Amino acid sequence: MALSSSVPHTPGRRVAQGAAAALRAARGRHWTLRAGAVALTAVLVILLLTPWIAPWDPAQQDLAQRLTGPGAQHWLGTDQLGRDVLSRLMYGGRFSVSIAAITLVLSAVAGTVIGAFSARRGGIVDEIVMRTTDLLISIPDVVVALFLIAAFDTGYGMLVAALTIVGWTPFARLMRGLALEINSREYIEAAEALGCSKSFIIFRHVIPNALRPVLSLSFLRFGHKLITVGGLSYLGLGVQPPDSDWGAMLLDAQPYMERVPLLVIAPGATIFLTALSVTLIGHGLELRRKKSADAG
Amino acid sequence: MVRFVMRRLVVLLVTLLAVSAATFAIPYASGGDPVRTILRSRVSDQALDPAAIASLRAELGLDGPIVEQYLSWLGRAAHGDFGLSFTSRTPVDQLLGSALGVSSTLAVTAIGLAFVAALPLGTLASTRPGKRVDNGVTLLTQSFVAVPEYWLAPLLVLVFSRYLGWLPSAGWRDPASLVMPALVLALRPMAYFTQVTRAAMTDVLAAPYIVAARSRGLSQSQTLLRHGLRNALLPVMTLFSLWFAGLLGGSVVVEVIFSIPGMGRLVYNAVVNHDVPLIQGGILSIVALAVIVTTATDLLYALINPAVRVRHGAV
Repeated sequence: MALSSSVPHTPGRRVAQGAAAALRAARGRHWTLRAGAVALTAVLVILLLTPWIAPWDPAQQDLAQRLTGPGAQHWLGTDQLGRDVLSRLMYGGRFSVSIAAITLVLSAVAGTVIGAFSARRGGIVDEIVMRTTDLLISIPDVVVALFLIAAFDTGYGMLVAALTIVGWTPFARLMRGLALEINSREYIEAAEALGCSKSFIIFRHVIPNALRPVLSLSFLRFGHKLITVGGLSYLGLGVQPPDSDWGAMLLDAQPYMERVPLLVIAPGATIFLTALSVTLIGHGLELRRKKSADAG
Repeated sequence: MVRFVMRRLVVLLVTLLAVSAATFAIPYASGGDPVRTILRSRVSDQALDPAAIASLRAELGLDGPIVEQYLSWLGRAAHGDFGLSFTSRTPVDQLLGSALGVSSTLAVTAIGLAFVAALPLGTLASTRPGKRVDNGVTLLTQSFVAVPEYWLAPLLVLVFSRYLGWLPSAGWRDPASLVMPALVLALRPMAYFTQVTRAAMTDVLAAPYIVAARSRGLSQSQTLLRHGLRNALLPVMTLFSLWFAGLLGGSVVVEVIFSIPGMGRLVYNAVVNHDVPLIQGGILSIVALAVIVTTATDLLYALINPAVRVRHGAV
């Protein structure tokens, strides 16, 4: 991102610039794409700038100011230890969004490569890959995560591994289908006739020609990842204290929900709106791709 | 067709064996003696009594070579015998049986709810593509997918149990305690069913026999109900069984929040308490059920599909 440029202390202007850029890029697209792009840009800009714009230290306790509710000093109030909810929300979001993004990229890369090779090889390799995706797709994600945690215990490595293991299968299926279609095209035949190796063909011709559907699937899956990360943290199996993400904040807030409902409303609404905006982008991209596929 | 069925059954068998081996290996995975791991999780780290280790080893049948252990474990597991739960000292299969009943009730209610809401929504959206109704349905379904259930559930409890006092906040006693959990679980399948119904209806509505029905003078709603919906049902029905299998073990968060004694919460508690026999039994039965239901759905679909195609062609 070009956000790491020279002037660090003008967050307001940057937010405006980022939003304007997103608006320009999104003009004339489907409305879901437009709305999603604006919202997502706002979230990402805020999370990137968090160390400079967060009003308080997220770990700073103030037991005299517990559970205050929204006010001038603490815009979203304080939690059970007197920590600023808005600052915790911003820092927690860096965990939630980055874990979701890392596992999404790993899933997409692994799934795309496996799917492309599976289609290229065929035979027993293809059979094993496809039956493995069948199996993993039919098992609920959280059960796979519970299995891995039962066997290997919790931790960041575990969290990323679990989410990648459940996450690569839709990409592999999509890529395999696309690759089977691309493999029958003339330029692949030409590349084969020229003596190109299998992996060269896959990385130079097959995968680049399948990137648009993979991109829209990535956006569609991101919201799901974000919710799963939060869910595991909510169950106490994801991000571990003293770190905390949006799911862990929800877990902490539960006992105080009646006194200060905002403690529960704020982190959940943040997950919801972030997931929704990314899903809307994916939906818009998918519609645009289908439209151009119909036209061409 | 016979070859197709045989192949799917062989695949099913191989998958189940692979999953059972993985489940059996859970206590070995962290790379130590499972008996010590288990004991350490129950008593403090220091005083591991050798006699206790030996007796637990014998109780678990962990004193032979590993392949032999696996085969005897598999033999007992095939009869539903996973031994005693460490925490409650009751047979694992009894715990699983009652939990399975609870989760099935919950899953069927949730999916039924999703189904009933999705059919009209999807049909409505398909009749006005790109219009305000369609956009509204899109936004609604995308929101349902994006709502974290661990957020919606506490909020519902806050409003309907604490503030209004209409519904119980947790537990599993009467039909009223089913309302909120089923509603929360229904949102995601509802979104998918709506999208699938919309897509299927869009396809069906473009078919020649729909145009023919309209030109014979049937009203829009008659056409939709008698010709459209009926033919769009099949793809939606297959989703039903897949979601059922997924919700049987996948509703961990909702079952934990509402203290529902179902499969998800059982396995979650087992993992938290390092209750190895219960973890193995729970995970193996959830996965086995999911795989069997998926295979059965595939087979049924293959069985029905050609017939459907022939019927369509004949109209």
